[in-house]
Amino acid sequence: MKNTANAKMKFLIAVMAIASFATTVCAQGTLAPQTGTMKGAVLKGRAPVNKQILRVKLPKAQEATLKNGLRVVVLENHRVPTFSMEMVVMSGGLSDPADMHGLAGVTAALLREGTAKHTSRELAEQLDTIGATVNANSGLSGFTTNITAAGLVENFDQVLDLFAEVIRTPKFPTDEVERYKSRTVSAQGQIRGQAAFLAQERLNQAIYGTHPASLVLPPAEGIKKIAPADLMRFHDENYVPNNAMLAIVGDVTLKEILPKLERAFGDWKSGAAPPTVIPAVPAQSAAKIYLINRPGSVQTVFQIGALGIERTDPDYAAMAVMNRILGGGGSSRLFLNIREDKSYAYSVGSNFSSSKYRGTFVASAPVRTDATEGALREFMNEFNRIRNEKVSANELDNAKRSIVGGFALSLENPGALLQNIITQKLYNMPANYWDTYPQKVEAITVDDVQRVAQKYIDLNHLQIVAVGDATKTRAVLAKFGTVEEYDAEGKPVRTASKTQ
Amino acid sequence: MRLHKKFLIATVLFALAGAVPAQTGRSMHVDLKDTRLANGLRVITVEDHTTPVIAVAVTYNVGSRNEREGRTGFAHLFEHMMFQGSENVGKSEHFMLIQNNGGTMNGTTNEDRTNYFEALPSNQLELALYLESDRMRSLAVNQENLDNQRNVVQEERRIGLDNAPYGKSGEIQQALMYDNFAYKHDTIGSMADLNAASVADVQAFFKMYYAPNNAVLTVVGDFKTADALATIKKYFENIPRQPDPPAVDMTEPEQKAERRTSVDDMLARATRVSIAYKTVPGNTADFYALQVLANVLGGGGGFGGGGGGSSSRLNQKLLREKEMVTGINSNAQENRGVGGFYVTGTLRQSVKTEDVEAAVYEEIARLQKEPIADWELQKAKSGARRNFINGLQSSLARANSIGQYAVYYGDPNLINTRLDKVSAVTKEDVQRVANKYLVQTNRTVVITVPKGGGGRGGPQSGAMQPNVSQ
Repeated sequence: MKNTANAKMKFLIAVMAIASFATTVCAQGTLAPQTGTMKGAVLKGRAPVNKQILRVKLPKAQEATLKNGLRVVVLENHRVPTFSMEMVVMSGGLSDPADMHGLAGVTAALLREGTAKHTSRELAEQLDTIGATVNANSGLSGFTTNITAAGLVENFDQVLDLFAEVIRTPKFPTDEVERYKSRTVSAQGQIRGQAAFLAQERLNQAIYGTHPASLVLPPAEGIKKIAPADLMRFHDENYVPNNAMLAIVGDVTLKEILPKLERAFGDWKSGAAPPTVIPAVPAQSAAKIYLINRPGSVQTVFQIGALGIERTDPDYAAMAVMNRILGGGGSSRLFLNIREDKSYAYSVGSNFSSSKYRGTFVASAPVRTDATEGALREFMNEFNRIRNEKVSANELDNAKRSIVGGFALSLENPGALLQNIITQKLYNMPANYWDTYPQKVEAITVDDVQRVAQKYIDLNHLQIVAVGDATKTRAVLAKFGTVEEYDAEGKPVRTASKTQ
Repeated sequence: MRLHKKFLIATVLFALAGAVPAQTGRSMHVDLKDTRLANGLRVITVEDHTTPVIAVAVTYNVGSRNEREGRTGFAHLFEHMMFQGSENVGKSEHFMLIQNNGGTMNGTTNEDRTNYFEALPSNQLELALYLESDRMRSLAVNQENLDNQRNVVQEERRIGLDNAPYGKSGEIQQALMYDNFAYKHDTIGSMADLNAASVADVQAFFKMYYAPNNAVLTVVGDFKTADALATIKKYFENIPRQPDPPAVDMTEPEQKAERRTSVDDMLARATRVSIAYKTVPGNTADFYALQVLANVLGGGGGFGGGGGGSSSRLNQKLLREKEMVTGINSNAQENRGVGGFYVTGTLRQSVKTEDVEAAVYEEIARLQKEPIADWELQKAKSGARRNFINGLQSSLARANSIGQYAVYYGDPNLINTRLDKVSAVTKEDVQRVANKYLVQTNRTVVITVPKGGGGRGGPQSGAMQPNVSQ
């Protein structure tokens, strides 16, 4: 296959992945062909659309508990002879000491760098020889550590052994720890070359203040402080079976693998992991514009956001529908306006995230420098439109069809199916959460869409981040409000005055 | 995908009984039906009822290698025009119809082909075929839409090249290493050439290249083959054939001496070394040996799903042992014409580029002198197998692979035989291609030097190299 980096794509969209299996067909009322002209689109209504939504039924996961209390979830998928598994340890960056952000992440990163039985190099060689992968990570503001393994099912036993070994008996050898820290700090400097990183760093700080979610990278001082003993302590306290869950998807059966799982994890000793404290998000500061000066830029990279919802918020389905209409993909308002009508951007859209604390709603686009003012004006126009006017019945219907219809495609993505099950477990959602999700989506009304738009596209607290050449954008940004300026190291450099 | 009978039976049992024992090391086979319509359109269908999904891919035999001087970037700009409307489909209506019915879609262009594809719930097969046939038959272009998409494509170029650290280095390397214009320019094209493209260019390009006899239609998924073929004939068979496009001259003169340049980069924060060797066209014995070599040396080789990076020689030696780089990899790029073998490393502070180059060349010399280890050969083959199997998971990935193999090599069945070709590679083959291609006179080295406009106070490389172009 061709180096995909060389392939130029029409556009990039994140497809919302949801689950399912086995189909029934359901008539979707009287959907007339949609015709007409709108910003960025002309609808002729002549293509043959099947009016029925193909409904699919979720494949059911099987569950078991090992003798030591480790919860196991298995989702069989026999399409191809592969498997993947994920150990979810219920402790993550939110458990980091305040002066040592990144401890959970570094612990995860070093699991593969030496165990009681094998050196880093031996582990790498053994896994690579059988075409298997083992990875681990823990986000700075997450409440879990996720260790994944994947490979061909013919190598299941060998992968399981290595997977259990890195989870249970990492040694955190001093030379590997030092090497990793030094390399990480060095790579941190390089990422500052990327405009999208600089934008996200500023936006998270603007929204989250002192909350751990304000961090995109762990501060280098904290990383440098981490000693092997800190890693071992974090591991021993948190990596215990009663603080974990094992989820597996692929060409396996529960019956066949359960004895193997008992062998690999059955004698893993329980412990008293410190419970994760979910910090409250701070009160939101007034709307502001942040300009990060990145000399040499030929684009302004916008990330515009505000505080969103928790994962279990009853508004989740309404947010999904609202976001789909405003900025979710090639038929969204932001895409049709800013790209297809104004041609300010190649990639433009919006997204929302959620966790056990409130996530964010973010709209973003990189635009050529001389379109900075025009693009920001159109972002604001679209925010105001979806807040002030009800969406049309067609737009609402299209968004719902898009989300519900998309379940069929998710059947070809077992990894996404497994993630949905993990989400349901992590947030203690009802067992039928994904089975009933389509009904929740279909129940959303135009009033719901407007209500969540007004609530979460919060113009009084909207944080607008622009990364670009300050000499060419300072004045136009000031037309929209107070501008605070930073350099590419993340340091404040001056405050421009509000003009208009 | 029609899988082996063994698997078909297993699938049926699973559907009835809800459980089936896992099988080990089972072989996989995609059962293709190859049909040629009267107008020359090649149609590949793969019937597979395991998920309620259909995927449609139209792969056109045109890419940036077909571009002439003064019109670089045109094949890709044209690809954008294919979403701007046709006789019965309005501007952006394609995006909306696919997305609003639960599907996903895109179009991509590279040097050697252009493809358009969508996956949808299986009851929307007719919609997908209608949309693809309408634009193959009757693309509608106007100045306004061309100007609009020209701007969009220029933004795409800025994202990937002009506003990104190291963005321009690849384009510069490509221009320096190739002599034949076909590959001497980046697919994205230059700003000036994009500005020069006219509506007349779009119309002429459409007539020459977007003909049924210059395309392959691949349909994979949950349908009955006879029904699908009937619908395909209904929508596609009356699209008129055009004269075959002229063949592209892909001959590349032999390189006689090393080529080298350095690039000042305002946006990069660390020095990067990229070494490229010209190789051979894809789907040849030497190419498959180069894939194995890339996997052993730097973890690449196109076996993306299978890992191999951590244990690679460059990772172990340069990143871990010598601590010279924050990242390093190698890759064998597959082209229809002369391909490339690339080694790219990003340097740590105070490391000299000549030391990194010397360490890379030392590893290459070792591959030239000694056979690789058994486990290394096994690793490449395992990676290839896992990558092949991962690529069968989604209908869309299968459709795109089949379409590409059909257009590149006239062999859609390569999806089934390719793994055997990797498996046939021996240690001697790997040593032989290392000696044949990875030689000094055949390489083009590009050093990217951060020129710290954005790096006030930021980490700077201590390895400011003089310009040593030739």
